[in-house]
Amino acid sequence: MAGNFWASSHYQQWLVDRQDLYRERAHDLKVLSEEDYQKIMMLFSNVIQTLGEQLKFRQQVIATATIYFKRFYARNSLKCIDPWLMAPTCAFLASKVEEYGVISNSRLITTCQNIVKNKFGHAFNGEYPYRIQHVFEAEFYLLEMMDCCLIMYHPYRPLTKFCADLNAEADLLPIAWRMVNDCLRTDAPLLYPPYLIALSCLHLASIVKQKDIKTWCAELAVDMDKVMEITRMMVNLYDLWKTYDEKKDIQAILARMPKPSPSRPPSEAPNLQDSQQQQQQQQQLLSSVP
Amino acid sequence: MATMPKCEELSYPFCPDESKYEKLAKIGQGTFGEVFKARDKKTKMVVAMKKVLMENEKEGFPITALREIKILQVLKNDNIVNLLEICRAKATPYNRYKSTVYLVFEFCEHDLAGLLSNPQVKFSLAEIKKVMQQLLNGLYYIHSNKILHRDMKAANILITKTGKLKLADFGLARAFSDKLNRYTNRVVTLWYRPPELLLGERNYGPAIDLWGGGCIMAEMWTRSPIMQGNTEQHQLTLISQLCGSITPETWPGVDKLDLFNKIELPKGQKRKVKERLHGYVKDQYALDLLDKLLTLDPAKRVNSDDALNHDFFWVDPLPQDLNHMLSRHSKSMFEYLAPPRRRVPIHQPPQQPGVVRPAAHNPDQHFERIF
Repeated sequence: MAGNFWASSHYQQWLVDRQDLYRERAHDLKVLSEEDYQKIMMLFSNVIQTLGEQLKFRQQVIATATIYFKRFYARNSLKCIDPWLMAPTCAFLASKVEEYGVISNSRLITTCQNIVKNKFGHAFNGEYPYRIQHVFEAEFYLLEMMDCCLIMYHPYRPLTKFCADLNAEADLLPIAWRMVNDCLRTDAPLLYPPYLIALSCLHLASIVKQKDIKTWCAELAVDMDKVMEITRMMVNLYDLWKTYDEKKDIQAILARMPKPSPSRPPSEAPNLQDSQQQQQQQQQLLSSVP
Repeated sequence: MATMPKCEELSYPFCPDESKYEKLAKIGQGTFGEVFKARDKKTKMVVAMKKVLMENEKEGFPITALREIKILQVLKNDNIVNLLEICRAKATPYNRYKSTVYLVFEFCEHDLAGLLSNPQVKFSLAEIKKVMQQLLNGLYYIHSNKILHRDMKAANILITKTGKLKLADFGLARAFSDKLNRYTNRVVTLWYRPPELLLGERNYGPAIDLWGGGCIMAEMWTRSPIMQGNTEQHQLTLISQLCGSITPETWPGVDKLDLFNKIELPKGQKRKVKERLHGYVKDQYALDLLDKLLTLDPAKRVNSDDALNHDFFWVDPLPQDLNHMLSRHSKSMFEYLAPPRRRVPIHQPPQQPGVVRPAAHNPDQHFERIF
C-alpha cells in the first residue's frame, strides 16, 4: 500500500530494541534457555508456513502472519495465549489485511487439524483443540497488542529491486529469496528494517554463489555494521540447523514452555452457548492465573 | 511455573474500554454502523465514536473495519480525519457476550451536507474556494499514498468549527495500483458515482474521487446534490443530460465497457455543464474547474494536482478561512441531525426524467432537484 516505510507504524512503532525485546522475554527466559525459545519460535514459524501453504497463501501473506506472531510474543509471555491458537489467528488476520480474502471458518480449522496430525505430530499430541470462536477472540487480543499496526513491509520488494540493479535476478535472487524466508525464523524482522534484511541476505547469497558484489555494496549509503549483525543472526540460524532435529527435540522443549494453567481443552467445554462457562473458559484460555 | 510472574498486561493494554467515554448524542448512521459524539470522562476531550458492526460473525473482525483502520494508520494529514484510538465494549450479558468495537476519531463539529442544508449558512466565493482547496488537497494526499476513497459525498466531508476540512469515512477505501485491476464497481453513493463505474468499469483509479469532488463543488452553490438518480440507468441519463451523450468519440474506449451496449444511453445530448450551472455559479473560473472535474472520460478528467493549480484558486478573491463565518453558528450541523430535506429513496422505481417528482415522504421538503 502506501509507499512510505519511514512514515509507517512498522518503522515508527515496531522496530524494537534488542534490550526491550529481551526485557519483555525475561519471564519466559526464566524457564527456557534462549536457544529453546528460538526453537519454539522456529516451530511456530514452520506451523504458519505450512498452514499458509495449505491455504494457498502468497509468501507475503505468510510473512505478515509470521511477524504478527512475533509481535504478539514480543510483548507477551508464551503462556498468555497458546501459540497453537495464535498461529492460525495470525494467518487468519493476515489474509484479511493483505486483501487475500477471508478464509472460511471450517477450512481454517480443518487445515489446522490436518497439519497438526500429519505434519506436526512430533510436536502435538492428540486432536487440535481450538474452534473458530477461539480464533475470533484471540484475533481481538492480537489486534490490541499490536496497537492495530497492521501494515507490514517485507524484504522481498527491496530484494527484487537490488537484484535488478545488480543484474543478478537469475543467480542471486532465488537463493537470497529463500534466505529472506529463513530469516523469519530469527528475531531480525522485529529488530531491523526490511531493506537491511534484504541486503544481508543478498550478501550471504553472493558468498554462497561466489559472486563479487563489493563495488556495488561500496556505493550504498547504509549502515554496514547493521547488515553484518543480521548476517551473524542468519549464520547462527544455519549453525543451529546443522545439529538440531526438531522432530526429536521439540517435545521436551514444549513440555517446559510456560502454559496457561489450569487448562482444559476448549473442545471439552460443555457448551459454548452457555455464556457463563464460555466466559470462564475464555478466562482460562486467555488469561494467566499463576 | 508457579514462579512465573503474572502477565497482568493481558487485560487490554492498548485497547481501552468504551466506558472511558460517555456518549453525548448520536450524530450519524452509516452503512457500517452508528456514530456518536462522546466525551472522555477524564480529559473531557470530545470525540466521535464510530461503532463497528460485528454482525457478520463468519469473518471475525470485519474486513471493512480492518481496511479503515490500516488505511487511517497510514494517512496522517490535516485534511484527513484523525483516528485517535480503538476501544471496545466488554462482552456482557447485555450484549449477549458479543463485544463491540468503536473507532474513536477527533470530533468535527459539522459535515458539509449538514452545513449546506441550513439556509442560514452562507458561503462566499472565497470561502467556497477554501472548502474546495482543502478537499482537493486531501484527495491529492490520499491519492499520492495510493489510496482511493470510493465514497465521496457531502456527508463524508467534515468541517471543524474553525473551518478545517477533513475527508472522513474510509470504510469503502482501498489501496490501488497502477497495474490492471479488477475492483468491485459497486462503490460510491449513486448520486456521486462517476459514469465509468455506472458502466461497469473495474479497472478504475483516482479519477472516480474527482468526479465526486466535482459533484460536491457544484453542490456548494446548488445546496443539494446536482444529480439525484433513482437507479443506475436514471443516473446515467442525468449525467448525459448534463455532460453530453456518452460516445466513443468524446470518450475513446467507452464502448469496451461491460454495460455500454446493455444500457440505454440518451443520444444527441450536448454538453451543457457550464450553461446549466451558470444560473447558480457566476464565477467563470469556478465554471471552468467544474467543467474539468465533471469530465466523462476518466482519462481526461482533471487530477487533484492540476485542479489545485487551477486559476480558480489563484485569482481574486483568494481562498478565505471559514472560521469567521462559522463562528456565527453555535450549533453542530450534521446531515443526520438536519431536518429531512432531500431524502429521495435510492431504490424508488425509475421514473421518466422531466416528470415532476411528487414531494418525497417528507411534505415539508422544500428542496427541489436541481436537474
